[in-house]
Amino acid sequence: MMKNYDTDDTFLGRWLAGELSEEERIAFEKTGAYKQFDIINKEVQLLEGPNIDTEKALEVVRQKLQMTPQKRKVISLWKSIAVAAILIVSAGMFLNSSKTHTTTIGETQTITLADGSIINLNANSSLSYKRFFWKDNKAVNLTGEGYFTITKGKGFKVNTSKGSIAVLGTEFNIKDRTDFKVMCYKGKVSFTELGNNNESHTLTKGMQVNLTKGSIEKSIFEEDTPSWRQGISSFENQPLSKVLEELALYFPVEFEADAVNSARTFTGSFNHEDLDIALKSTLTPMGIAYEKSDAKNVIILSE
Amino acid sequence: MPEKEPSICEEKNYNQLFRNFYEPATKYIYYKCGNLQQAEDIVQNVFIKLWKLCASVSFYKAKSYIYTACNNLFLNDVAHQKVVLKHQRTIKENTDYESPDFLIEIDEFRQKLKTAINTLAIKEREVFLLSRVENKTYKEIAEITGLTVKAIERRMSKALQELRAILGKEIKI
Repeated sequence: MMKNYDTDDTFLGRWLAGELSEEERIAFEKTGAYKQFDIINKEVQLLEGPNIDTEKALEVVRQKLQMTPQKRKVISLWKSIAVAAILIVSAGMFLNSSKTHTTTIGETQTITLADGSIINLNANSSLSYKRFFWKDNKAVNLTGEGYFTITKGKGFKVNTSKGSIAVLGTEFNIKDRTDFKVMCYKGKVSFTELGNNNESHTLTKGMQVNLTKGSIEKSIFEEDTPSWRQGISSFENQPLSKVLEELALYFPVEFEADAVNSARTFTGSFNHEDLDIALKSTLTPMGIAYEKSDAKNVIILSE
Repeated sequence: MPEKEPSICEEKNYNQLFRNFYEPATKYIYYKCGNLQQAEDIVQNVFIKLWKLCASVSFYKAKSYIYTACNNLFLNDVAHQKVVLKHQRTIKENTDYESPDFLIEIDEFRQKLKTAINTLAIKEREVFLLSRVENKTYKEIAEITGLTVKAIERRMSKALQELRAILGKEIKI
């Protein structure tokens, strides 16, 4: 007897999959129940499954996974290494970073270092030193001019563009501009010139060293403190160019001096407080006329 | 040399598995429980677990792992017993059946069909809908459910018999 849907429990399953034999199928289609099965099957096939947003679900899962540390470890190992490296390098850079004090034209600044040493920084100058572990190596870098009052202790050193000054509890002034000058006001300092066989020169109170055009000149001075610390610049037989250079340190001006003889010399001083008074007290004695340009920061000199 | 097996721990491989199997696995669970939210939660938890086990699951066996784990999670989920299957089903198209075939209105018939599907046993319904709605072959369904093709044919037969038992009287012979 031929199998049918009543006697074979896989019959309808095979029919739905189109796997009945020709013979079975023809016989089945003749039965009264066939039409009911067929319609039910066709109707079921009209149904639709749910709509599923895979990308949204992936986003949800990824967000949940970010809260578990394992994922971070696995996927961002290299990132972590990179971040750690950056942190180490930047911490190193931070620990090795410098603190810099800078003054502009006409400005002075007093800096107290970790060992109690005091530095008066003159106009248009800068002083820098290591932010951390400075006491292990008490070195500072100076450009421009500064007056140093150093607390007793070992190893204080000032580096300049022309050489270094080693110190043992003392007071001194360093000027590193167009001309270079170290003046010792108290105690003892040693100046070592850059290059030039690292020759060193020891200075005691009242001694100064001048470095002009590569030649060193030692001399004696009498003042107790540099005049700039009292807000005064003083000159003794200095050429006009030096006077103008000094004026430009304390006042934001430029000079147009092509029309005058720059070889003339000046002996005297000017005060850092007022430009008009400073100009009057320096240029007028030298017989130089001057006028301010419209821009107000250029001063034109004439005979 | 045999090609190296992709690692599920690599995000692109994981994403590929997700895109391949999230939707079918969710439908598989949905046809069991009839609650889409529950189905999505189950499958998402399986994928979360898959990531955590990424090193110990083989990429080529991931499909089987996903379906098995989904089924296990579903069975562990006692809440499903209370949920009534609510297929958010829409009729794909209007049929050309002539109303004389039905003893009732066609809309009413379709409503009764949905209700009848809901009353099927889970093991029959999941197989029946995977075949009829998702158009999966018995072989594919065997892979998903871990059943033999023979067992699937039986379940398909039983499901259709039961639907006819409920709906047969509404259809003219």
